[in-house]
Amino acid sequence: MKPFAPTRRTFLKAGTATAALIGLGPSVLRQAAAQDADLAPYKSAKIDWQQTSGETITVAVIPASYFENLITLAPQFKALTGIDVRFEKIPPAQIRQKSVIDLTSKTGTYATHAADPMYYSLYAANKWVEPLDSYLADKTMTDADWFKFDDIIPAWRAADSVDGKLYGVPYDGEVTIQVYRKDLFDAKGLKPADDLETFVKNAAALNSPNDRIWGTALRGVAGAGQNMYIYPSIFREFGGEWFKGGKLTVNGPEAEKALAWYVDVMRNYAPTAAANWNWPDIADAFSQGTVASYIDAHSSASVINNPEKSKIIGKVGYARWPKGPTGKRVSSIWNWGFPINAAQSEKKKKATWLFIQWAASAETQARTAHRFAGPAKRSGINRSSIWKDPDYVKLMNGFGDNFVETTMATLQSDTDVDWRPRVPQWPAIGDTMATAIQSALSGQATIKAALDDAQRRVEPMMRG
Amino acid sequence: MIARRIRLIAVLAITLVFLLAWVFPIVWSVLNSLKTDSDVLAYPPKLFFTPTLEPYRDVLFGSASILPNLISSFIISIGTTVITMLMAVPAAYALARLRFRGKKFAGFYVLATQMLPPVGIIIPYFLILRNIGWIDTYQGIILIYLSFSLPFAIWLLVSYFEDIPFEMEEAAYLDGASRMKTLWRIIIPQVRGGIAVTVVFVFLNAWNEFLFAVVLSGNTVRPVTVAMFNFISVEQTLWAKLAAVSVLAMLPVVILGIVAQKNIVKGLTVGAVKGGGRR
Repeated sequence: MKPFAPTRRTFLKAGTATAALIGLGPSVLRQAAAQDADLAPYKSAKIDWQQTSGETITVAVIPASYFENLITLAPQFKALTGIDVRFEKIPPAQIRQKSVIDLTSKTGTYATHAADPMYYSLYAANKWVEPLDSYLADKTMTDADWFKFDDIIPAWRAADSVDGKLYGVPYDGEVTIQVYRKDLFDAKGLKPADDLETFVKNAAALNSPNDRIWGTALRGVAGAGQNMYIYPSIFREFGGEWFKGGKLTVNGPEAEKALAWYVDVMRNYAPTAAANWNWPDIADAFSQGTVASYIDAHSSASVINNPEKSKIIGKVGYARWPKGPTGKRVSSIWNWGFPINAAQSEKKKKATWLFIQWAASAETQARTAHRFAGPAKRSGINRSSIWKDPDYVKLMNGFGDNFVETTMATLQSDTDVDWRPRVPQWPAIGDTMATAIQSALSGQATIKAALDDAQRRVEPMMRG
Repeated sequence: MIARRIRLIAVLAITLVFLLAWVFPIVWSVLNSLKTDSDVLAYPPKLFFTPTLEPYRDVLFGSASILPNLISSFIISIGTTVITMLMAVPAAYALARLRFRGKKFAGFYVLATQMLPPVGIIIPYFLILRNIGWIDTYQGIILIYLSFSLPFAIWLLVSYFEDIPFEMEEAAYLDGASRMKTLWRIIIPQVRGGIAVTVVFVFLNAWNEFLFAVVLSGNTVRPVTVAMFNFISVEQTLWAKLAAVSVLAMLPVVILGIVAQKNIVKGLTVGAVKGGGRR
């Protein structure tokens, strides 16, 4: 391994590339030659990697640099296990649809796919995917001392489990954090908010639409993974509980206060267009200097640090979620994990597990992150140990002040498994809530009416 | 006079408003496809900028080239259009002219296949193709596209065939022409406009189709509509490249439209029999 000593410049290069890499095949392949290809770190695991040699599996992933890096290393996996992996890249909105069609029809097209943690309840209820505990426990399949499953971020493991049973292994993930403009905050003598009240005060103090600077922006567009990605954190911080007496409850006083907070912030201190924004739009606006702060995924740091687009490099600071009235900070537990499709032969299931174990191992995580020969470095590493690796930390700190500290603290303390209601009916419930939030934001319905209406709609879903 | 002028201005104004609304996305795409990523995001939007062909170079010859996808789209769309027309023209003629048992039912059946919402039949289609091993193949996608393009084309063409005065056919028969010869020599030249319109619509539908394509395609066959989506990634939207792909994907359809337009106009102006109305 060559010594790794990133300067600010190499770091910026890495940032640009992360952004520019999507779908970057051949040029990455060229660099793969320079990639560390030594299989010894894998062979120290006391399992027979070649036990399903000759199998071919298809893996569906989304077009994202963190999967591109993994695809680049596929030849190493082939050399190690004799398994051919065909990767299919499917956009995030469609990967859910396609994998559900594949799973319902039991065709076994995808051995595994990049799975949304909110879908495991549905998968498990239908037995579409394999419980993974037996694979973890099987000494012929997994070397526990080598794989060190407990090293994987606990919140993400919990997110990929249903009733304590593991159904997916996290590969890459993200947490939501506060991102703010140091220069603007300093000029007004402000500090990143420690509670939601201060967050609003900060946004109000910095909001100056005439100078094309808005106080903040949150995801506004309706969608289970859009406004219903940010609202659940607020709901939980205001003391909301998704299940009251075993019954899914989306309305009530806490929900009303949470939604009122969101609507107030979005209407008064965010650009009007933000009602239609998703995460890339927020990051784009922030990178152009028009938004003073936002709360969203820590992984957006690579976009706002892209020197080809961003005007605010070096002016960015990070902080944990502001505390709610309950004193809680609630971040997301989002991750892309790999389940095993149950509609496959035993041998293919084993091959799939070997792939998952390889992809989620500390060695592969490092090789796709700070030790990756290509320009794109990952910020969503699944291993606590790598988050403490000085090489990785040095690289990540290039994103701005307190990036690593904030992400680490959030991962350790602010992740909440009950962030969103984890039930098989989630896709429909997520959509219903998304519509309710949007109608309250646009003023089509009052906050209470929107939530009560959502409650009326989700009740029959839970019965059926 | 004045009232007429006011009406003219009003009509023009309304037309202009609609035109602006329709043209704006196209102009926006073309402009953005010539910008760098930082120019795309600039505010106020730059109307004058140093144009760059970088986005086009990237999407055509870069690592995520969409050339194979454009080729896929061409094969699928041309295949669908040719097969559709070969079958739809005789079928539409038969429905318009021949008397046979179950004609009414056949006409209704053709239309009925269009009544199902496409989303409802994706899974059955997926299963059928999967069982015969046609997922991610040209024949599979073309087969599925035929299921909606063929009824549509027949339905559209029937009305054109019905508009042709029967007297023309009779004249041909009197001169000793066979039915096939009449169809080929007399009828088809008359419905050229209708055929051109149908070709444009069938090609356009196949070219722009996304819902079935995304489910039934894979790594081998991936039309441009599906490939385009990858420029909207989880990390960011690559606006300039997305715009460049949009413009490239628009071109064939625009060219086809221009070529077809000539025929459409001709088809409408050919008057064969004076006072010849519907049969």
